Amino acid sequence: MNQFQMASPTEARDLYSPVMAVISKVEKMTELENLYTVVLPDGAELGHKPGQFIELSIFGVGEAPFSISSSPTHRGEFELGIRRVGMLTEVLNRMEVGQKVGIRGPFGNGIDIEQFKGRDVLIVAGGIGLVPMRSIINYVIDNPDDFGKLHIVYGSRTDEDLLFTEELARWEADPKIDYHVTVDRGSLDWKGKTGVITTLIPGLELDLEKTVCCVCGPPIMYRFALLALKSKGLPERNIFMSLERRMKCGVGKCGHCQINSTYVCQDGPVYHYPDIKSLQEAL
Amino acid sequence: MAKPRVAIFDFTGCEGCELNQLNFEDQLLDILAHVDIVEWREAMDGHADEYDIAFVEGSLSTPDCIKRIHEVRRKAKVLVALGACAVQGGINGVKNTHPIEEVREEVYGEDKYLFPTLPALAVSSVVKVDYNVRGCPMTQLEFLKVFTALVLGKEPIEPEHSVCVECKLKENECVYARGMICLGPVTRAGCDAHCPTVGQYCTGCRGLVPEPNLKAMEEILVEHGLNVDEAWKRLQLFNANEIEGVRS
Amino acid sequence: MVQFFLESERVTELVTHLKGQKPVFAPHRKGRKSFAFERVEDAADVVLDYPRVMHSIRKFFLPPRETLMTFDLAENDFSTADVQPSDAIFFGVHSYDLGAVHRLDYNLGKGHPEKNYITRRQGAVFVGVSFEPDAYHFCGSVGIDPMDTSGFDIFLTKLLDGYIVEALTEVGEQLLNGLDLPAHEAGKPARGNFQQHIYLPQAKLNEVMAKSYDNPVWAETAEKCVGCGTCNLVCPTCYCFNVEDTVNIQATGGTRDRHWDGCMLREFTGVAGGEVFREHLADRQRHRVFRKFKYISDETGQPWCVGCGRCTAYCTAGISIVNIVNRLVGDYEKVAVTPI
Ligand SMILES: Cc1cc2nc3c(=O)[nH]c(=O)nc-3n(C[C@H](O)[C@H](O)[C@H](O)COP(=O)(O)OP(=O)(O)OC[C@H]3O[C@@H](n4cnc5c(N)ncnc54)[C@H](O)[C@@H]3O)c2cc1C
Ligand code: SF4
Ligand code: SF4
Ligand code: SF4
Ligand code: SF4
Ligand code: FES
Repeated sequence: MNQFQMASPTEARDLYSPVMAVISKVEKMTELENLYTVVLPDGAELGHKPGQFIELSIFGVGEAPFSISSSPTHRGEFELGIRRVGMLTEVLNRMEVGQKVGIRGPFGNGIDIEQFKGRDVLIVAGGIGLVPMRSIINYVIDNPDDFGKLHIVYGSRTDEDLLFTEELARWEADPKIDYHVTVDRGSLDWKGKTGVITTLIPGLELDLEKTVCCVCGPPIMYRFALLALKSKGLPERNIFMSLERRMKCGVGKCGHCQINSTYVCQDGPVYHYPDIKSLQEAL
Repeated sequence: MAKPRVAIFDFTGCEGCELNQLNFEDQLLDILAHVDIVEWREAMDGHADEYDIAFVEGSLSTPDCIKRIHEVRRKAKVLVALGACAVQGGINGVKNTHPIEEVREEVYGEDKYLFPTLPALAVSSVVKVDYNVRGCPMTQLEFLKVFTALVLGKEPIEPEHSVCVECKLKENECVYARGMICLGPVTRAGCDAHCPTVGQYCTGCRGLVPEPNLKAMEEILVEHGLNVDEAWKRLQLFNANEIEGVRS
Repeated sequence: MVQFFLESERVTELVTHLKGQKPVFAPHRKGRKSFAFERVEDAADVVLDYPRVMHSIRKFFLPPRETLMTFDLAENDFSTADVQPSDAIFFGVHSYDLGAVHRLDYNLGKGHPEKNYITRRQGAVFVGVSFEPDAYHFCGSVGIDPMDTSGFDIFLTKLLDGYIVEALTEVGEQLLNGLDLPAHEAGKPARGNFQQHIYLPQAKLNEVMAKSYDNPVWAETAEKCVGCGTCNLVCPTCYCFNVEDTVNIQATGGTRDRHWDGCMLREFTGVAGGEVFREHLADRQRHRVFRKFKYISDETGQPWCVGCGRCTAYCTAGISIVNIVNRLVGDYEKVAVTPI
């Protein structure tokens, strides 16, 4: 007998066909990054959790995964913060408001908000890692009663690369937010701190037991950020991280995103650190 | 949108790659519908000042070639190397493994001092090449892919896997099973395993995959009956420039 | 179940009988020394005595290349490819290849059940045939016998002068209706001996692999490996794929297609900007073997390698998965019995 029962045809789904959504707004953030606002047909809600992602497709070019940058509390549309790095992102950069792109998702395991409720939230974001983290930040800001303090630690290569500058200014001005930013190399006009992101962590005033931390950034950042968080005394069980790998399907089939036994598109991109700490390929 | 202005140049090659030599009959009209050919050595005269896409055939082996390629690069927004000669220094590159004097002697005999020649260089070793269409002769399928991509304003991507992948996707019988030896395992795909599909071995005309394990490939070739020198000769046929110095 | 006897000369008659009811796919000669499953046009072309086909019957459910959708660039719209149930008889399948299909049923059905695969799997009828293990088969070591009938509708067990024919399901019985075959009274023959074995009892699978991450065998194997990806592409339990868009030369539209991919290829984990997450061949070798013996196995308790021997038989570098696994087991035992 077949010991592995197959799902029935009625359970089977067309996993790869996108829905066509409209780009309703494009905002240039930096030389390389744009913020795209996307509206689904009939203004349908995407229904995502903070930290989840979608697959965006342009016919004739391909498909790629992008984090949803807006909070679920932002309704009727959603936002994607996208860096121009290759084939699809270059073509997307030339598209105009009103044009359509294909969307599949939301996919992956976002933040389990229930676990964060009642806690202080620390966000550590490097570079483009701020894009997904922004969905959590704005969720926390929009639901102030559910959370304690909000700490944001953001590092960027230069001050010209800073994303969401208007929002950064608001976060900085907000007395309820403990906001820190640093750049690796500052321009002449830069008045803020310079140095790598990990230099900001020792100075934070954290309630170590109460704080949950979420880290997202370029691959090399994780190990250093972890070291800094651990030497700060933050318990491992309070650390979450959002990881990135090559992806194709977003639904646990194509195999590209696998890290040891885990599929980033299914079990991630947001992981509880104790769950991946023993995975040799993770960090 | 204005049609892209296209120019085509050929340097030292065998003319096997020339666009007009390929069997494009069906597609040629479709292709031309998308572009304005502003310069095509042989086909046109009059030198255009600027082009959106320059296709360059052949490797560079004279000082004059070097001068010309710099000029082409200056005028071209996008430069595409066509065929093994342009991409890898090509089959011409084999002469790099012989002392240059010897080659001149062989090729030009008495007149050797009249023709200053350089080692046969890949275009990319002199100027920046944006995209490649590989193969000897160049792979028609890939030319069409790169061409449509550029016309649509997208970046063509080069396959990085081996010819074996395409060969296996077609469920071909491996030519090793018939006692031949084949460079498919370290050769960059994109030709849809052209040669093994017709029962021939792959000579490696599309160049090596990135980070090839050449030591292991040598072992495979030796295991299948070549001696070490023959193995490296085989590998160098299309990749002399790239392999230079790898063999220890 | 009743068993019948089929003389070797009557195999063609059986195939013709089946072909009258549904399309039949069966092994044919291909090239000089190879075999491949193809649709039967002439029943006389079917070869039942074959060591292995390059691609298992997975190619009918998860094709090497498949169009997912067709798009129109002017309209910026698409239509999803129409996928049909296979509704056919797969004749002359070896037990390990059906075992591999069952494993794919799990992988493609789990989590997000995939319509393309599951639709194609509908109406598939399997007629198995026993085989003589050759220099590469080792399925006996992963619990799959050459005469294992599980999952088949009809099974043919090879005898000297013919086959024992068993109908194992109602579907199988019905397909045989109208064919006049004598009953087979004597028992089944003893099965052939395996020349290859892995010494990894299922009870230890998890333990041995858990201790193997840093084994030197990965780096040693990597020295001989050219990273061609053949071992992935021929494996009947591999299902990784890539997706690419192709535009027609008129630039008016095109297709989005998927094709098999493999974790031995460097670009498999490559991302924009040039980072490759499994950069070293040693890491890729380990991943390949762990996909067969650890990751999915930890979840299901079963090895995900069915012992077909293809990856070894088709590797031009002569890398043997049997040797790799036995080395892991050997090193594990050494450590396990060495007092500290
Ligand atoms: C979960 C997740 C969230 C992401 N969120 C964002 C985001 O919010 N903003 C952003 O700018 N980028 C994000 N990325 C990275 C983004 O997917 C890549 O930059 C993008 O795929 C590059 O596509 P390209 O066609 O322009 O590049 P090319 O280099 O031409 O890539 C070709 C194809 O390879 C695959 N690929 C290449 N790089 C990556 C990658 N890093 N991850 C996954 N697949 C890749 C894609 O299928 C892509 O279409 C995210 C990646 C993941 C996995
Ligand atoms: S014939 Fe050549 S390309 Fe094809 S599988 Fe064999 S070695 Fe690879
Ligand atoms: S099979 Fe090899 S030799 Fe033949 S076209 Fe392809 S790369 Fe060139
Ligand atoms: S088939 Fe052999 S050489 Fe090719 S990737 Fe697999 S192990 Fe390496
Ligand atoms: S790993 Fe090798 S022996 Fe095992 S099922 Fe795959 S191809 Fe067959
Ligand atoms: S992206 Fe395909 S399995 Fe995760």
